[in-house]
Amino acid sequence: MKPVLTLIRRALAAVGIAGAIAAILRVRGSGGVPPQSGGWRELTSRDLS
Amino acid sequence: MRLGIVGCGAVGARAARQVLASDAVEQLVVCDTRHDKAVTLARSLGERATVVRDVRDAVVDGVVLACDSTAQFTLARDSVARGRFVVSTSDSLEEVRLLQTLDAAATDRGVAVVLGAGFAPGLTCVLANLGRQWFDEVDEIHIAKVGTGGPSCARTHHRAFRGQALDWRDGAWIQRRGGSGRELCWFPDPVGGRDCYRASLADTLLLVGAFPHVRRVSARVGATRRDRLTMQLPMLTPPHPDGGVGAVRVELRGRIGTATRVVVLGAIDRPGVAAGAVAAQASLWILDGRLARTGAVGLAEAVEAKPFLRELVTRGVKAAIFDGAPRVHALPQPSPR
Repeated sequence: MKPVLTLIRRALAAVGIAGAIAAILRVRGSGGVPPQSGGWRELTSRDLS
Repeated sequence: MRLGIVGCGAVGARAARQVLASDAVEQLVVCDTRHDKAVTLARSLGERATVVRDVRDAVVDGVVLACDSTAQFTLARDSVARGRFVVSTSDSLEEVRLLQTLDAAATDRGVAVVLGAGFAPGLTCVLANLGRQWFDEVDEIHIAKVGTGGPSCARTHHRAFRGQALDWRDGAWIQRRGGSGRELCWFPDPVGGRDCYRASLADTLLLVGAFPHVRRVSARVGATRRDRLTMQLPMLTPPHPDGGVGAVRVELRGRIGTATRVVVLGAIDRPGVAAGAVAAQASLWILDGRLARTGAVGLAEAVEAKPFLRELVTRGVKAAIFDGAPRVHALPQPSPR
C-alpha cells in the first residue's frame, strides 16, 4: 500500500510543480506582442526605380 | 526579328500574346505536338503569327520553349547548335540540370540560353536578385511557391514530390526526400498561409549559381493533405486547364555589417500568366541585347532585377514586399558597397 501512496504523492507533486511553473510563465512570461499592423505591400514602379 | 514558340498551352499562348504586343518581333512562329492547337492560337494572334510542324524547320532568331519539360533539352541543344537563343520555361530539376550542360556550347556560340524563365523558377530568381541589394552578404535564400499553370505544369508539380529535393547547405548539396520538411509559409493575400514541402525544384540549382557565397538555399512547394496522400501515385484526376491564382515567396537572410537582416519578397498571379509574361520579357530583352551575359544561366544572373521587374509590373505581375510593421514603411535603403 505504501509504494502506491508514494507514487500518487509524487505524481500530485509533479503535476502541482508543473502547474505552478506554467502559471508563472503565463503571468510573467514575455513572449512579446505579435505584429498588429503591417504585412504585404505591393511594389510599385517608384519602389523599383 | 523572328521568334519561335514551342508549346501553345497556358504558358506558350500567354507568352505569344505578350511578345506580339512588342514591335520588336516581326514574325512569330508557333508549333505544338497538337497541331490543331497551334493553328487555333496562330489564328487568334493575327497576321504576324504562322504555324509550323517543327520549329527546327523554321527560320527564327530564337525560341521560347513552353512545351512539356521532358522535350526541352533536345530542342534547346539543336537551337544552340544553329546559333539561336533559347528561353526555357522548364521548372523540372532534371531538365534544368541537363540544360545547364549547354553553357559551354552556348557561350562559344555567343547565344543565350535562359533557364527557368517562368513563375518559379523565373520570377523567384528575379525577386532574389532584387533582394540582394539590401545586404552586404546574402547567407540564406528560401523559396516557396504555391499553385500551378497548365496541365503540364500540374504534372511536373505532382512528379516533384516523388523526386529528391536538393538543398544547398554550407557549400554542398544535400538530397532530401520530396514531401518532407513541412513549413507554414505566408504568401501575399489572398493566398495567405500554406503548408509547403520540399520537392524536386530547380530554383535552388539556379540560385546557387547566381549567389556564389550563399550558405543555405532551399525550395518548397505548397501542397494540400490530398496532394501529400496521393503524391506517390499517378495523378488520379486530369489536371485543370488552368490552376488558378498562385504565389511565390522569396525569403533572404543576410548581413549588413555585423547586423543580420531578413527581407521577404513575394508575388501573386496566375502561374501560367506570370510565366508567360516572364518568358516573353526575357525573349524581348535578348532581342534588345539587354542580357547581362550569354551562356546557359537563370534570370538571377541574366537580367538586372529592377528594370526587369518594373517592366513585369506594367505587364500586370504583382510583386510585393513583406514589412512587419507598420504598413507605411518605405523600402529599406540599399547598403553602400
